[in-house]
Amino acid sequence: MPDTQWPRYEVFKQDSPKKRHTSVGTVHAPDAEMALLNARDVFVRRPSAVSIWVVPATAVFTITAEEMELNPNWHKLVTEEVPAKTYYIFAKQSQRRSMTYVEHVGEVEAKTAVQAIQKASQNRDFAPDDVFVWWAVPAAAVTRSEDDDIASMFAPAQDKTYRQQSYYGFVDPLRKSGK
Amino acid sequence: MNPTVQTALLHKLLALADDELILSHRNAEWIGHGPILEEDIAIGNIAQDELGHATVWYGLYCELTGDDPDALVFLREPADFRNVQMMELPKGDWAFTMLRQYLFDAYEVVMLAALQASTYQPLAEAVAKIRNEEIYHYRHTTAWIRRLGLGTEESQCRLQNALDELWPFAQQLFVPLPDEVVLVEEGIVAETADLHTNWQNLVIPHLTDSGLTIPSDDTPIANHRSQHTSHLTHLLNDMQLVARLDAAAKW
Repeated sequence: MPDTQWPRYEVFKQDSPKKRHTSVGTVHAPDAEMALLNARDVFVRRPSAVSIWVVPATAVFTITAEEMELNPNWHKLVTEEVPAKTYYIFAKQSQRRSMTYVEHVGEVEAKTAVQAIQKASQNRDFAPDDVFVWWAVPAAAVTRSEDDDIASMFAPAQDKTYRQQSYYGFVDPLRKSGK
Repeated sequence: MNPTVQTALLHKLLALADDELILSHRNAEWIGHGPILEEDIAIGNIAQDELGHATVWYGLYCELTGDDPDALVFLREPADFRNVQMMELPKGDWAFTMLRQYLFDAYEVVMLAALQASTYQPLAEAVAKIRNEEIYHYRHTTAWIRRLGLGTEESQCRLQNALDELWPFAQQLFVPLPDEVVLVEEGIVAETADLHTNWQNLVIPHLTDSGLTIPSDDTPIANHRSQHTSHLTHLLNDMQLVARLDAAAKW
């Protein structure tokens, strides 16, 4: 069956100015601007956030540590070669939290995504711990929320109390009545 | 506050609250039926925000009267509601829903900007909280109008049909309440005519740039908020059904 959904965008959320942008999931959207709005509605309604980035899923190059190990020639993988440009590097260094997939660890200048990951993987400044997964994304493919957006996109969520459905105790009276 | 001013203020607060409540209910009807999951969540979010804003306006009203907001919402008769007719119209297709929300968002953006300067402090304070959410709604619906208007022949046709239908309804937002002039004199609310001009300056260029033709007749569909379509009765039957089963029940 053909995919009738809109294109997929990867979403990265930053919870405070000192924290890194972390992958939180994906949204479908017809274009980058709508992806940014959809990302806000899906991922930042309740938790706090100060910034989100969206990237077309097709612009992400990803490789796992296992793939690198199994294919020692991975750095010869052919990807689109373009004039040297900036890549955002993301890495997954922890298995602890289910929500933590990859987080932004820095930027490199490179001709291809493979070369960008090669450079980053050779430099411990990017990821001091073992890396399970690397992502490289051309900086030009990233659409960002602006500082001016904080008040309308993110601040309202801070006043909203999140309650599990168990907060609303409407089941108990029925149980008590023995029905 | 003198009694004449307070009465006028209560009329205004009820109009503000009822607009948000009824629109929220119509938008909530999309939950589970949105065109795509992300939009389903977005429209639910907007509906919830508008309900939150209604709660703020009902709160200010009840502070002055001692009424119970739940009773106002769930036990009032259709004829006593003071929302404009635009809010009670059935949700229609996605173009209709987005356009109604857009026309209302633009109204709220200009209205709330003016209310920030209200001499009635509780009103000015409430606005600060509501305004940020409205700016986001406005951005969301502005983006949708452009895409539907400049999208396909079908999307443009549906949006134009919605505009032709909604235009006279939207004008009712700018019909002053019978005693609103009292509030304008006190600096509590802004002149409706000024809001209308600001609103037109926002929506007409955007609708035109989105490939739409602005209907020539801008006579408001109704001149008093006590006049309703039969859609409101159906909506309230649905919304009030459970509460009215046992009005004294404790929740």
